[in-house]
Amino acid sequence: METIIQTVDLHKHFGRVRALDGLDLDVQRGEIHGFLGPNGAGKSTTLRILLGLAKATSGTASVLGLDPWTQSVELHRRLAYVPGDVRLWPNLSGGETIDLLSRLRGGTSGRTQEGRDYRQRKARLCGAFDFDPGKKGRAYSKGNRQKVALIAALATDAELYLFDEPTSGLDPLMEAVFRSEVLAAVERGATVLLSSHILSEVEVLCHRVSIIRAGRIVDGGTLDSLRHLTRTEVSFAANGLDTRALAGLGAVHELTSDGGRVRFGADSDRIAEVLPALGALGVQGLTITPPSLEELFLRHYGDASVAAGAAGGEPEHARHRHLLGARGRD
Amino acid sequence: MTEVATLRILWGQRLRRDRWQLAIWVLGIGALALFSATAIHQTYGDDSSRAEILQVALATPAILMLRGLARGAGIGAFTFFQIFSFLALLAGMMSTFLAVRHSRAEEETGSAELIASTPAGRLTPAVATVLHGTAANVLVALAVFAGFTAAGLDPAGALVAGAATGAVGLAFLGVGLLVAQLMGTSRGANGFSAALVVLAYVLRGIGDATGTPDAGGTVMTAGPASWFSPIGWGQQTFAFTGDRWWPLLLPLALAAVSLGAAWVLLERRDSGASVWGALPGRVAARRGLNSPFALALRLQAGSIIGWSLGGLAGGLLTGSLGSAIAAVDLADSSATAVLRAIIQSQGASLTQIMISVLFSIVGVLAAACGLQAVLRLRQEEAAGTAELLLAAPVSRIRWLTGYLLLGTASVVLVMFLAGLGAWVSLTGSGDTSMDVWAVWETAAAQLPAALIYLAVPALVFVLWPAATIAAGWALLGAGVVMGIFGGMVGLDQGIRDLSPFTHTPVPNGSTTDWSGAWWMLAIAVLAAVVAVIGMRRRETGTA
Repeated sequence: METIIQTVDLHKHFGRVRALDGLDLDVQRGEIHGFLGPNGAGKSTTLRILLGLAKATSGTASVLGLDPWTQSVELHRRLAYVPGDVRLWPNLSGGETIDLLSRLRGGTSGRTQEGRDYRQRKARLCGAFDFDPGKKGRAYSKGNRQKVALIAALATDAELYLFDEPTSGLDPLMEAVFRSEVLAAVERGATVLLSSHILSEVEVLCHRVSIIRAGRIVDGGTLDSLRHLTRTEVSFAANGLDTRALAGLGAVHELTSDGGRVRFGADSDRIAEVLPALGALGVQGLTITPPSLEELFLRHYGDASVAAGAAGGEPEHARHRHLLGARGRD
Repeated sequence: MTEVATLRILWGQRLRRDRWQLAIWVLGIGALALFSATAIHQTYGDDSSRAEILQVALATPAILMLRGLARGAGIGAFTFFQIFSFLALLAGMMSTFLAVRHSRAEEETGSAELIASTPAGRLTPAVATVLHGTAANVLVALAVFAGFTAAGLDPAGALVAGAATGAVGLAFLGVGLLVAQLMGTSRGANGFSAALVVLAYVLRGIGDATGTPDAGGTVMTAGPASWFSPIGWGQQTFAFTGDRWWPLLLPLALAAVSLGAAWVLLERRDSGASVWGALPGRVAARRGLNSPFALALRLQAGSIIGWSLGGLAGGLLTGSLGSAIAAVDLADSSATAVLRAIIQSQGASLTQIMISVLFSIVGVLAAACGLQAVLRLRQEEAAGTAELLLAAPVSRIRWLTGYLLLGTASVVLVMFLAGLGAWVSLTGSGDTSMDVWAVWETAAAQLPAALIYLAVPALVFVLWPAATIAAGWALLGAGVVMGIFGGMVGLDQGIRDLSPFTHTPVPNGSTTDWSGAWWMLAIAVLAAVVAVIGMRRRETGTA
């Protein structure tokens, strides 16, 4: 594997505010890397440093083997960026802005084969995103402004795509289009860093995630390795069944019964131990919900006492249970 | 709820929204009436000096374009000639902006829909807007009346002048509301209706300039073009000399017709819809839009064209005034004393001083044009559009230098057009003296001061971005006050020397002192170089 983005002990201070506080990020070639965190955690600041729009207070950052601050122009030739809140020139049409941005990145729309290819890609993307390029910048809604930057980025053949909450303002249909375009880009060999606070999006797309909180990475790895720490939710119709046998199993936690349904959480890596017991009970209306990043997320941001627990050196698993207990059911 | 009660609520909401804005418009127009009348009292105190200046004016179409319809040398008539067209222009602007603000702009942002969904219905908001605009124009009329009366002019004439100003405003209230039905965006509606106000001003200017003077050379009968302009109709009241009321029926009729048309359209169209759809933009960019400089040019084109037209008009005016001065001997009038106070010069001819004074004002236009290029950098950064550009392979330095080059080019363009205008009108008048060539020298002499206003704000932009816009205009304003008006109000020389405009050379033939120009050029280049170097190290962002 080849490292595409690497930051080591990155700090960024705005006066006394530490926007980044020792951030270590590592993105490998060909992956879609999720960059998760709540608003204000430092996601956009990190991306601005990776782009060379801001300068790190200390620490090092390397993108495509280049220093983003001193070699930004060279770097920008090889990447495409979509900001989270796209602002357009009010008197330029969407189509003009897309053309301008792609020409600045070295693209052409002349009468060459390259120009024809570009126009074809642009037309295809405008169609896929259901976007009207003939309106003036000031007339677009938030979602449509977002589409301008997305189309401009995806119409160029970049090595690296940086997306900062790219689907904010897009409807679910357009989110699906975005997903398939990102997958197509990775198919071509591109690398993607996707900053988001929308878990489902990251969950569907990303190979690995890094979770940022208060300016540093607090958890990371492949989705599977993270899921491993979470629980699968199981529920079925109560129907007066005797569930004491389930309660005795080590993999089952927080067994409750309300509203005619029995619910419990099962350790995701031990779900197989639970299935025979369920079969023996002859349960009906069974649902098994796979662990979501939501849970991971809540573990880091859901409760202040969790963070305190982490500082106290509590083991991962214990922290997790603690949170679920605090959350309760319904 | 009754219609009347709804109307009162909607009117109250409009008053509340506009209270500061309207106060500024009304008091500003009233103060302009007062101060211009007072200034005329002081500068041209007696009939003979006013008659003298009127004779120059009537021989100079450029002055008539900017002033009005001369109706004799009486103090009231002279004041009306000097300032009425401008008061009416302001009343028209106030009214069209008011009309659009409370109609199309509300529909565009969607707040009109909130109101329309209440029992207020579809027409009541428009009625409230008309009431509101009418009240505003009555206030404007009273302010003009009060201003002229306070300056000691005949109250009967002042009342006619005030009513004429208000009537022009009312006509444009109707026009604005009609245009708001036609155009789909508030920007389009504001632009189009403001253009109609300017057209009215220009048409009456053509009428005044092409009128027929009487034998005495101080009374003019307007040409036919004036009769196509609401502002021209206002002038036909002959305030202070004839005090005719009937011409005001014309603007009132225009108001009634356009309001009626707006009413018909309003009743027939969907909320938010317009008669003319928004103009579609281009689906693809032109071939040339491929660099930060091309984008800067595209974004600044409107403002460059505007300032350039100002430069050209200033040049034409300068040339025609220069030839007018050659025709009438003004060597000892109070007007030349004013000129001598503005410009410090030895050995320059009166025409040359005239050219230098007017070109120094055109030089301010050029400086403002250059300044706007630099301010655009900050606007782009604050709006977040710069980020799109700088995330592409465009270095901060290339971005900055693009705007500096564009600013330099536009400063040169404005002064070139001013020189061209003055040269054409001087040559056209048959003047063959040295002054014709000195026009180009004088135009070039304005460049260094203007370039200071390009480079120094650029430095501010690099060092203290958030202050760029305020500092830019403040520096320009201070420079104008200290350098150009400083002499008139008797400012200390040490303070006047702080302004770049004070150091602009005044060509006087062979012994012109150019050292100020070279110093300013050096300072501008130095500031620009430091700005470019600093930009290399500067972060960009909206903060």
